[in-house]
Amino acid sequence: MIVTYNWLKEFIDFDATPEELADLLTMLGLEVESMAKLGAGMDDVVVALVEEKWQHPNADKLSVCKVNNGKEVLDVVCGAQNFKQGDTVVLAQIGAVLPGDFKIKKSKIRGEESCGMLCSEKELGLVDESAGIMVLPPAVAPIGTPVFSALGRKDTIFEIGLTPNRSDCLSAIGIARDIAAKLDLKLKHPQCTLVEGPDAVESVIGVTVENTDLCPRYAARYISGCTIAPSPGWLVKRLNDIGMRSINNVVDVTNLIMMELGQPLHAFDCDRLSENRIVVRTAKDGEQFTTLDNQQRILNSADLVICDAERPVALAGVMGGLNSEIESTTTSILLESAFFKPAAIRKTSKRLGLHTESSHRFERGIDIEGVGCALDRAASLIVELSGGVLAKGAIDVYPGKSDRAAIMFRPEKANELIGIDLERDVILDILTRLECRVSTSADGSVSVVPPHYRIDVEREIDLIEEIARLNGYDKITATMPIARVVSDRPTRHQEIEKRLRDLLVNSGMAEIINFSFTSPDNIGKLLLNNDDPRRTAIKLANPLVDEQSVMRTTLLPGLLETISRNMNFRSLDLKLFEMRRIYLPGEGENMPREPLCVVGAITGSRDGDGWSRPNEPVDFFDAKGIVETVLDVLDVGGLSWNTENPEPYYHPGKSCQVFAGREQIGSLGELHPLVQKNFGIEKPVFCFELNFDKLVKLSRSKKTITAPSRFPDSSRDIAMLIPEDLSAVKIVECVKAEKSKEIEHVQIFDVYRGKGVPEGYKSIAVRIRYRSFERTLAEEEISVLHKKIVANLTNKLQVTVR
Amino acid sequence: MREQLDQLRNDAMQAIATASSVEQLQDIRIRLLGRKGELTALMKGLGSLSAEERPIVGQLVNAVRDEIESTLGAAIVSAHEKVISARLQSERIDISLPGRRPLKGTKHPVSLVIEEICSIFAGLGFSVAEGPEIEHDWYNFEALNFPPEHPARDMQDTFFVENNLLLRTHTSPVQIRTMLKQKPPVRIIAPGTVYRCDSDATHSPMFHQIEGLMVDTRVTFGDLKGILTEFTNQLFGLKTGVRLRPSYFPFTEPSAEVDIACVICGGKGCRVCKNSGWLEILGAGMVDPEVYRHVQYDAENISGFAFGMGIERIAMLKYGISDMRLLFENDVRFLRQF
Repeated sequence: MIVTYNWLKEFIDFDATPEELADLLTMLGLEVESMAKLGAGMDDVVVALVEEKWQHPNADKLSVCKVNNGKEVLDVVCGAQNFKQGDTVVLAQIGAVLPGDFKIKKSKIRGEESCGMLCSEKELGLVDESAGIMVLPPAVAPIGTPVFSALGRKDTIFEIGLTPNRSDCLSAIGIARDIAAKLDLKLKHPQCTLVEGPDAVESVIGVTVENTDLCPRYAARYISGCTIAPSPGWLVKRLNDIGMRSINNVVDVTNLIMMELGQPLHAFDCDRLSENRIVVRTAKDGEQFTTLDNQQRILNSADLVICDAERPVALAGVMGGLNSEIESTTTSILLESAFFKPAAIRKTSKRLGLHTESSHRFERGIDIEGVGCALDRAASLIVELSGGVLAKGAIDVYPGKSDRAAIMFRPEKANELIGIDLERDVILDILTRLECRVSTSADGSVSVVPPHYRIDVEREIDLIEEIARLNGYDKITATMPIARVVSDRPTRHQEIEKRLRDLLVNSGMAEIINFSFTSPDNIGKLLLNNDDPRRTAIKLANPLVDEQSVMRTTLLPGLLETISRNMNFRSLDLKLFEMRRIYLPGEGENMPREPLCVVGAITGSRDGDGWSRPNEPVDFFDAKGIVETVLDVLDVGGLSWNTENPEPYYHPGKSCQVFAGREQIGSLGELHPLVQKNFGIEKPVFCFELNFDKLVKLSRSKKTITAPSRFPDSSRDIAMLIPEDLSAVKIVECVKAEKSKEIEHVQIFDVYRGKGVPEGYKSIAVRIRYRSFERTLAEEEISVLHKKIVANLTNKLQVTVR
Repeated sequence: MREQLDQLRNDAMQAIATASSVEQLQDIRIRLLGRKGELTALMKGLGSLSAEERPIVGQLVNAVRDEIESTLGAAIVSAHEKVISARLQSERIDISLPGRRPLKGTKHPVSLVIEEICSIFAGLGFSVAEGPEIEHDWYNFEALNFPPEHPARDMQDTFFVENNLLLRTHTSPVQIRTMLKQKPPVRIIAPGTVYRCDSDATHSPMFHQIEGLMVDTRVTFGDLKGILTEFTNQLFGLKTGVRLRPSYFPFTEPSAEVDIACVICGGKGCRVCKNSGWLEILGAGMVDPEVYRHVQYDAENISGFAFGMGIERIAMLKYGISDMRLLFENDVRFLRQF
């Protein structure tokens, strides 16, 4: 809602400066979002006199003038033709800044010096379009006067961001009313003197409301003998100030009164209404209608239409029709002022994507009691400006008129809830200033009837809010609540989530957050089978763009896109993880599931470019190491690394699924070269995925700790040749299979291929550390055990011990 | 024998004085004091002396041995010191070379801010609650007093999915889910991801909010101001407190927008606060009786407040980030700074 300082002054006599007023409005809940001072910083734009004017010697379309600004006579080059010597004009002097941050500098135009610029109305920001420069009436003000002062255009325009409950403030008078209540000042209502002709309105026009549910009140007046003409200057200026365009003297009045009183009005060309009749009804399904903006609309039975005897002439509360609009030849007018049901207007406006100043007000709800007053005020102004004759009386179809219900109100409840301590009288006075009818009965109970325009005030709590608002939120003291102690600690999920995030961060990874929605194409890039459940994603009905149209079923594509994007910026060494939800369709009627997932990826060099270590690329085992550490810290046991059924997006020879017991808890691997290519990634990437819910389920919350042995250890190594396809873990398992308490630790410390190792084999070295909890082991004892282990390896796995 | 002893002592002292290494000194010790050493041999000769002479000479031998041992001991210590100091002299590194650092990981700024806010509220006795992001219209709107066709729904451009489901537009449905599960007293904080169909430099279609809810027997609007003052002071390290302005949310009444003094300019006015000196960071209010009705709470006997804030906005203010899109581009050059 836009209002100006001067306009508000017409309703109330206040002293506040524009800045103080802005603050006061904001603290009333009418937030001033912007404040523009007309003519601010434009004091260098002055009234000036053209003393001489001649043709520019080097340009046909330009002229050169001698312009007097009251202090000196300046040479100015001008391109406009609409002025002559002796005219009073507007001069932007050197140093002036015009709207749009246009700085006036001394310049040479085709060889002639120009010390300023003669301005058009558009250049001054007064109108959207203008032809030629602005020529002022002679002697409008002494030359040298800043032009905005000279024109009386010094004003401040407030743009107020209204919350949807305050439909009463979608009008200048509504805002003025709140100021008057706050400052305890008297409100001056706009004047309305009706001069009516002899003919009764009923003898000329008729109104039938077929649907009084959607149209509880419809009022109309009739004016004949009008002359449609441009609006007078004051009206054009006011509309311009509040961001509206002037159309003609009749339409402008309807717009002005809507902005002044909040009642949308519509003027029909009555000669174009069949039988001078208005019928308010719902549209027929598929009925067609062309609105004022020349758009053909297809209506349905939920839309309310204003019709004449034959056809729709307006889309009720939204927009008028092309077939009955005011034209330059119009002479008789049917003026409509009505109340339409908010939800119905909203439905129509939404469905048609047609949001107008009128629909904006109707869908928020207007003052049903103000319908007649706005009609009268607009009618009198139209008569004044168009010279027409107003028929006697008004038609007013308002069958359901009823009084507002009183609200039982407890002043002490207001104090209690707000946390203030106002006297009862002060509280009731606030309500009275808000034009509530307050009555106190003998037993002291208070009943309050809110003013009809405050449709948002219906309950005691609404009145309490009004007390807090008018008294001022700044008057409320900050206190600490008195509360009962509640026992709580983070849930296991929350604790493990935090631990896991900390752990991944401590592994050197950077956390990323991607949008939850993704492109439907992304899933295809992962080479998933056609029946893979991850292909079934929840779709948005109204996505902003196709790349954000389905809810992700895996975090992997987002991570890979992030890697690709970073690589484009030459960030090649990446360690990233994301820990967020995925979204899986619910079965049947069930809600979708939103499990938390964890993915990580590493690529590039292991230690970055350092001076002291070789620059080696990361590999599968760096990713595996992170997963191992995570599972170790969360104490998930019974791990196995399964190479059957590799994920299709991984390298089949360099990936695995991670199991804890029989539960699959994740997977890891090198990205498949084709997937890498699909995401535009040039270097190998190693990824892992973990199922968070399963980690929580399998993480053991109790650890058993063993006291370390106090006896010395002894280590023996075994080097052996094993076939390539025998996994190293089998060696370790075979060693451990000799279930001796004395085997403390088994470690693979070397894997070698190459010179001395036959094709199809690898050399593996294992170190076994022996130690007892009871005694120092004798050399002979260890040798016996070790020989047994070597024999097991040779017999069971056919390895060749070297 | 006395002469022999004197001779041995003098020889020993000279040998110790001229020895140049720990090894030489060790050799001297073995030569004189070892099992087959010269002084040991002399000691063995004591048996041939008379009973009167034996204790006197014995004493002398002991004195010479003690002297040699202590001198030798001191010489060995000093030789060791020389060796160490020579080694230290020769071993020097360029300590200006960078250290071998374990790679530092980083949390996303959104996670950092959520953790910080939750920990401040944990200190005030609020526990963390969560809820689904794909939500029923009833929880997201109706139970929060946004009836169908209500213009307040325009305040939140909604992404819809099928079956009357939508992407939650705020974390407020967690209020409803919590109150349906538990009776007062309630004190929760609900961080989460929310969605609105809006995208430009200051709006992201996905962003994060934290919702707070406190319901007990005698909670006032002044208490809301008190809790939020404490919270913002802790979060921004301020002492300035908050400014509450009347506003409107369907699920609270009275409602307020909550401003803090601009953390960039300190309230003098700058571009960030649009010259107002204030920054809007929260929406809040007393829980509307209509909401209590939907969760079967008795509005006459309890009261409470709710508040909500955007995490991205707070992260941007805390870290001086000017474009929200940076938060979701995941450029490591940005992320690694946190």
